[in-house]
Amino acid sequence: MSIVTRSIAIADREARYLNPGELNAINEYFTQGSDRLRIATILMANERYIVERGSQRFWQRCPVTPSNSGNPIYRASCQRDQSWYVRLVSYAVIVGDITPIEKIGVKGGKEMYNSLGVPLRNVVECMSCLKEVALDLLSLDDAAEVAPYFDYIIQGLTPQ
Amino acid sequence: MSSHASGGSPAIFPQQYRTLPIAVISQAEQQDRCLKQGELQELTDFFRSGAKRLEVAAVLSEHANEIVAAAANRIFYGGSPMAYLEAPPNRQNLPGYNTPLRPRTAPPKEKLQVEAPSYGNPLRGVLEFLQTRLSGDRDPLPDGFRLIHVKRYGPRRMKNSMRDLAWFLRYVTYAIVAGDASILTVNVRGLRGVIPEDVTEATVVAMREMRWRSLNYFKQDAEACDLIREYFDVMITDYLAEKPSNRVRQGISNDQQGLELPENYALSVIPRPRFVMKPNLSETEKQEVIKAAYRQVFERDITHEYGEYGVRLTDLESKFRSGEISTKEFIRRMGKSRLYRKEFYEPFVVSRFIELAVRHFLGRGVSSPEEFQQYFDVVSSRGWHALIDTLVDSQEYADYFGEETVPYLRGYGVEAQECRNWGPQLHLFKFCAPAHKMPQFITQFGDYQKPLPNQHPYGAGNDPLEIRFGAIFPQPSWKGNDHPASFNKDHRRILISCEIGNGNGNSHAMNWGQVPGIVNRPLKLNQMTQLNGNGKAKPQGANVNLAKNSPTAIIEGTYRQLFGREVYPEQRLTAAELKLKSGEITVREFVRQVAKSRPFRHMYWESLYITKAIEYIHRRLLGRPTYGRQEMGRYYDICAKKGFYALIDELVDSPEYIAVFGEDTVPYERFVTPRGYELRSRSSTGTLRLHHERIGSSVPGPRVAENFSGWMKAALEGGDAAHKRAQLQAALLEQKPLSHEALDAVKQLQLESDAAAKTASETVKETPNSQAAGTPQESSPEKAQPALSETGGQS
Repeated sequence: MSIVTRSIAIADREARYLNPGELNAINEYFTQGSDRLRIATILMANERYIVERGSQRFWQRCPVTPSNSGNPIYRASCQRDQSWYVRLVSYAVIVGDITPIEKIGVKGGKEMYNSLGVPLRNVVECMSCLKEVALDLLSLDDAAEVAPYFDYIIQGLTPQ
Repeated sequence: MSSHASGGSPAIFPQQYRTLPIAVISQAEQQDRCLKQGELQELTDFFRSGAKRLEVAAVLSEHANEIVAAAANRIFYGGSPMAYLEAPPNRQNLPGYNTPLRPRTAPPKEKLQVEAPSYGNPLRGVLEFLQTRLSGDRDPLPDGFRLIHVKRYGPRRMKNSMRDLAWFLRYVTYAIVAGDASILTVNVRGLRGVIPEDVTEATVVAMREMRWRSLNYFKQDAEACDLIREYFDVMITDYLAEKPSNRVRQGISNDQQGLELPENYALSVIPRPRFVMKPNLSETEKQEVIKAAYRQVFERDITHEYGEYGVRLTDLESKFRSGEISTKEFIRRMGKSRLYRKEFYEPFVVSRFIELAVRHFLGRGVSSPEEFQQYFDVVSSRGWHALIDTLVDSQEYADYFGEETVPYLRGYGVEAQECRNWGPQLHLFKFCAPAHKMPQFITQFGDYQKPLPNQHPYGAGNDPLEIRFGAIFPQPSWKGNDHPASFNKDHRRILISCEIGNGNGNSHAMNWGQVPGIVNRPLKLNQMTQLNGNGKAKPQGANVNLAKNSPTAIIEGTYRQLFGREVYPEQRLTAAELKLKSGEITVREFVRQVAKSRPFRHMYWESLYITKAIEYIHRRLLGRPTYGRQEMGRYYDICAKKGFYALIDELVDSPEYIAVFGEDTVPYERFVTPRGYELRSRSSTGTLRLHHERIGSSVPGPRVAENFSGWMKAALEGGDAAHKRAQLQAALLEQKPLSHEALDAVKQLQLESDAAAKTASETVKETPNSQAAGTPQESSPEKAQPALSETGGQS
């Protein structure tokens, strides 16, 4: 739930107008909006690059993995998933909230990879490769904005 | 990551309004694509207009009363309508309204610059009046519009009407901040049917007046004016629109339910695009349709990587693209392709295949056992090809999708959902559905036929209301059971009795089915020993009676029963205690007063949602869980109409209370749920159970028992017996509820050898509930028994 939705839901519950404190908080959200949009655009534009570089780095670190086994289907689906996650992060950056990632990428994600027979440790490794590559593209401040979302995915997929 | 369990209460999941970023993202998300240029532009504009939006919202909120007053003055005469505007109800102390749902707002770095017009001028009233009268851009009153007289309209309707006007303005400010008009659409459309039809015109006039009034604050600011106008216009248009009719689920056979869904529910979900193939579509649009069809049938994008299967599909695809075959035919052939067979037929049992096929081709789950049987018959007599044909040729397919539409999932929001397959259906729509090999619908339908096991009105084994030591230990992540056995209003929970004997004075029943921690001997006040002839209390000097039935014991017992613990000194009801001791009030009256006290209300009423509150209070006062929905329904009614104190009175004055506890008995636990029983009697090993029984029932629950047995084992195994024993005693003293008798029993047990324990454990395994007669521990039940009345009531 982004700050806007949350403030409105709370105000509605108490049947009152948005108070100045809430308006200030939302104002911050708006002023940072263009920045977040810029970051998301960078991520989306470089999605291909991030996935390519990310998977190379990933295969260096984890040579034994289904996507590196030479099977083109595995390889393609692995890269497709990677681009999904990059895109999810860019959505989340725009909204300023983890909900998009949580709903699609994290809930049930572990179960899905388990049932597909993909080792979760490798998935997590892959996500951290994506994170590194993506953060390299961004300035320090922007990276600080994006990193938590990648971390959230990594935490959500890390096996116990 | 597992999801957290919750009852779906609005306190936890408040209704989420769409904001512009969420609306944009969700569209892109559904199609798994990056944002288009137009969408990015939209977002940029939204963020840029942020400051302006907030400014507008702030000014409108600040002048809310003036705006509402202006609107009211426009349609009412002969009184002061603002007098009828009430502050919103304070729901602070109602159950469920105390949840800490505060926004995590960062401390504001800079104050929002709001240039509010100053109103220090004493001539303001006159000026405004003149402005109002003379301004030319005000919306004219419609022909034949008659003002409403305040007095004649009546105070109740006036109050409602003023509340609604304030409400309209409030929602406009929300929509302005959110940048999405769906807040208004969802809530305003259809209101015409709710607000009396004869004031529709007046309402619209009032809204227009509010719009005009709001615009007046931003005379020089075109952007702000556009914003205000946009949302007020949406509101007025939606208000004027006819109340949309309910969406009816199309059912054609007798075993399908004709269900209705109010249109507003459909409006409030995020819309999903439907894909229709038309010959004049552009190439990219056709590609989108094909992609949607693949996603519906195969639940994935089909690209050339699918090798030999992909080739045939490419052939099909090109025929479809060129218009040679219709969408329906395309769907049918995809269903009969080798790829479909390999992905959805071969890996599954037939039952699950049927369920998945119904999802793919009809967009829903199997709705009844009869329907399932019919499909099963088709598959078993004619094979899986025939099932695809049956589904695609069915009347339902034709009604919903026709020739050209790609089938879509008919989940909630799209149409009304059935109850009986609710859980599996929601599950089936998730993308992980093919990962589940077990047929879910047929399993659930099967569950409906079974006799009731461990049940609760809110789902099988989902009984969330177990009480342990009066504290709540919710399971943090609950593996949801999405197919509860059916439990309707005529069913009753099965409860396990833990009373002494079976009512015939026959007390052997307590030996089995005995729950640790229950009160074996009810605390009953023996007033006669305390009272002398004329009803005055005997002075209690140094000679304090420590008997079990003394008023002091009764008072402690009452607190323990009602709070599950000893209360703090400042929480005690000293006045009521004195009255009880002096015989002025009965135990029943004392219980009532304790239950109506502030701490009790705080503990069981204010912080809980209503169902849970009733359940706890019921268990505390009547000593049993509620039976089911009928009983609950009655209590809901009392709570809603009369509140907490009436609920307490209802319980304490109920015939059941009077019959069971009468005037002078402290309530005690009479029944537990099967799950509660299981929780308390669970033990990992036979030895543990043995220890459990040895100390009698004075251990008030599984936790202590487990800790205790850990110490016990250490003590038995360790070499340094004396040291261990000292440790053990310390541990026991910490655990406190054990009495001296129990300690004696423990010591005796320590002295006995492991061998005795071993033999005993075997005996116990065979006849777990017997008192293991013949084993050396025979004496312990008697020893443990006296401890009970002092430590009991903690359960």
